[in-house]
Amino acid sequence: MLGWQRSHPWQADGLLALLLVAISSGQWQGKYAAGIAAVSVLLAATVVPRRRYPVAAFAVAIIIGATQVAVGVQPAGGARPDFGLPLSASLQPTMADVAILVLLYTVAAYRPRRVSLVALAACLAGAVAAIARWAPAHGAHPGGPLFAAAAGLGGAALTAWVLGDSVAYRYRRAYYASLEERAARLEAERDAQARIAQAAERARELQERRARVVDESAARLRRIERDLHDGAQVRLAALAMTLGEIKEGLDAAHGVDESARTRMLAAAAHRNAKETLAELRDLARGIHPPVLDRGLGAALATLAETSMVPVGLEVGIAERPSPAIEAMAYFCAAELLANVAKHSGASRAAVRVRGQDGRIVMTVTDDGSGGARLAPGGGLAGLLERVQTVDGRLGIDSPAGGPTAITIELPGHA
Amino acid sequence: MSAQLRIVIAEDAAIMRDGLTQTLSRRGHDVVAAVADAASLRQAVDTHLPDVAIIDVRMPPTHTDEGLRAARSIHADHPEVGVLVFSQYIETQSATELFAGAPAGVGYLLKDRVADVSDFIEAISRVAHGGTVLDPEVVRQLLRASRQAGSLATLTPREREVLSLIAQGRSNTAIADALVISPRVVEKHVASIFAKLGLAPSDNDNRRVIAAIKYLGS
Repeated sequence: MLGWQRSHPWQADGLLALLLVAISSGQWQGKYAAGIAAVSVLLAATVVPRRRYPVAAFAVAIIIGATQVAVGVQPAGGARPDFGLPLSASLQPTMADVAILVLLYTVAAYRPRRVSLVALAACLAGAVAAIARWAPAHGAHPGGPLFAAAAGLGGAALTAWVLGDSVAYRYRRAYYASLEERAARLEAERDAQARIAQAAERARELQERRARVVDESAARLRRIERDLHDGAQVRLAALAMTLGEIKEGLDAAHGVDESARTRMLAAAAHRNAKETLAELRDLARGIHPPVLDRGLGAALATLAETSMVPVGLEVGIAERPSPAIEAMAYFCAAELLANVAKHSGASRAAVRVRGQDGRIVMTVTDDGSGGARLAPGGGLAGLLERVQTVDGRLGIDSPAGGPTAITIELPGHA
Repeated sequence: MSAQLRIVIAEDAAIMRDGLTQTLSRRGHDVVAAVADAASLRQAVDTHLPDVAIIDVRMPPTHTDEGLRAARSIHADHPEVGVLVFSQYIETQSATELFAGAPAGVGYLLKDRVADVSDFIEAISRVAHGGTVLDPEVVRQLLRASRQAGSLATLTPREREVLSLIAQGRSNTAIADALVISPRVVEKHVASIFAKLGLAPSDNDNRRVIAAIKYLGS
């Protein structure tokens, strides 16, 4: 019931108005029954919009009440001045004046206290005015029924105000409590957000730092390779050339025993220099394959061409990844192709590289016997560790009997 | 082969540049210019029009493939100038690019080959005279990784050796010397290899090399 009247204020207050009309209908009697009825209905009607426009409704009702007091006369019984008009007799106080109390209650409940106090004052003033207006007609003795009614009206007004105000107080208290709760919640939310922002900032910092480290180490390897290339390798090549000259000179000289011994030594030194050159080359290439400078596609093509198992290659990336990522993709492909040659017994393999949302996805497939898996300390575990340093991923699809597809996903930039 | 050659050297490492200059000069060749970067190389070649330019792959400013690009553009502008690219590393991709379009007077060697001075100078001379030289290492890689594994498997070990030497750019005489067999036997091997691989026989050494490289690289 309470729920219904809250969710349907207009209907509920309409019923209330009908009730008031019904209560007051007992007074619609005599010559002016129609006028009394009209005033009662008007008064009752003011409660209908009470919740939407409490102050306006109250004002209208109090004006009607004041008019009754100013113009109306007491109901039947006493001597009344006869203006010869039906009007004054029709403006008696009616039961419908209860509407004023209802509206006072509403103003007290729904509007600030300063507004409701004004309304209360208006009601009390009305009650006083009613007493002043009608008491003399009752022979000035305060015990008369109308006087009692007027006094009752004042008391009722006070009661209505207190009731409404207490409801307002409960509302306000609940409202303040909800405000406090909301403030606390907002503060907690702000704290949480600050912590999240801090964590995000930290993550970003770490990511940047890691990217720097990865790039730096790639750059360092490249520098080492270049130092080897420009330093030891070239010096050794020049040395080998000189030794070659000496050896060939000695060979041409066809000298005596001493020169034979020298020739042997020169030949040995020459051979050593050449072998060292080959070793250095492999070492430097392992540190940083120079072909990577020409892009991942070129590097993978060279890798595919030197593979023991025929390799199909397909590279479709629009933008060059950072050098560190290119190097990582290259070494992963090298390791995977070496695995194919060593373990799979495959007759062919394929390397496919494509870009996807700024990431590099490389898939190495073979038609071998399958059964590749992550084993602690194994080659794939090593690869996984490697790609994880840059937030990369490794996927293995290798059922027994094959085929095998290993997918490596790397960010475009470390 | 002892004819004096006019040579331009492009190599950014001074020790190698000077060593090469001295060695070649001692063997009676004329090193008309020895430079350290690709731009100077282009200039030297335009000025001197040498018989052959010996070009390091990695040179300033980027130290990646300046030499390779310079070699290709020199060969396009001056087809009569032989270009011998030499490098610390051998990449079959670079080789395939360099030999695209059946060029004459092109060589690609590992830098290590300078150690065998006479062989190296012989290779320079071959390139200078319009021959083709491909490093044995590249040939080895091409043979190993060739998609034509099926038909290559039909070759006898001796025939594979001969094919490898053909791909390196050796003449029949040179192959005969290297394998210590008679030129007649080499000819027989060559005919057999080309028949087995379904290649058109060719007396022209250079065209024969290109055919072999193309076949292996395809």
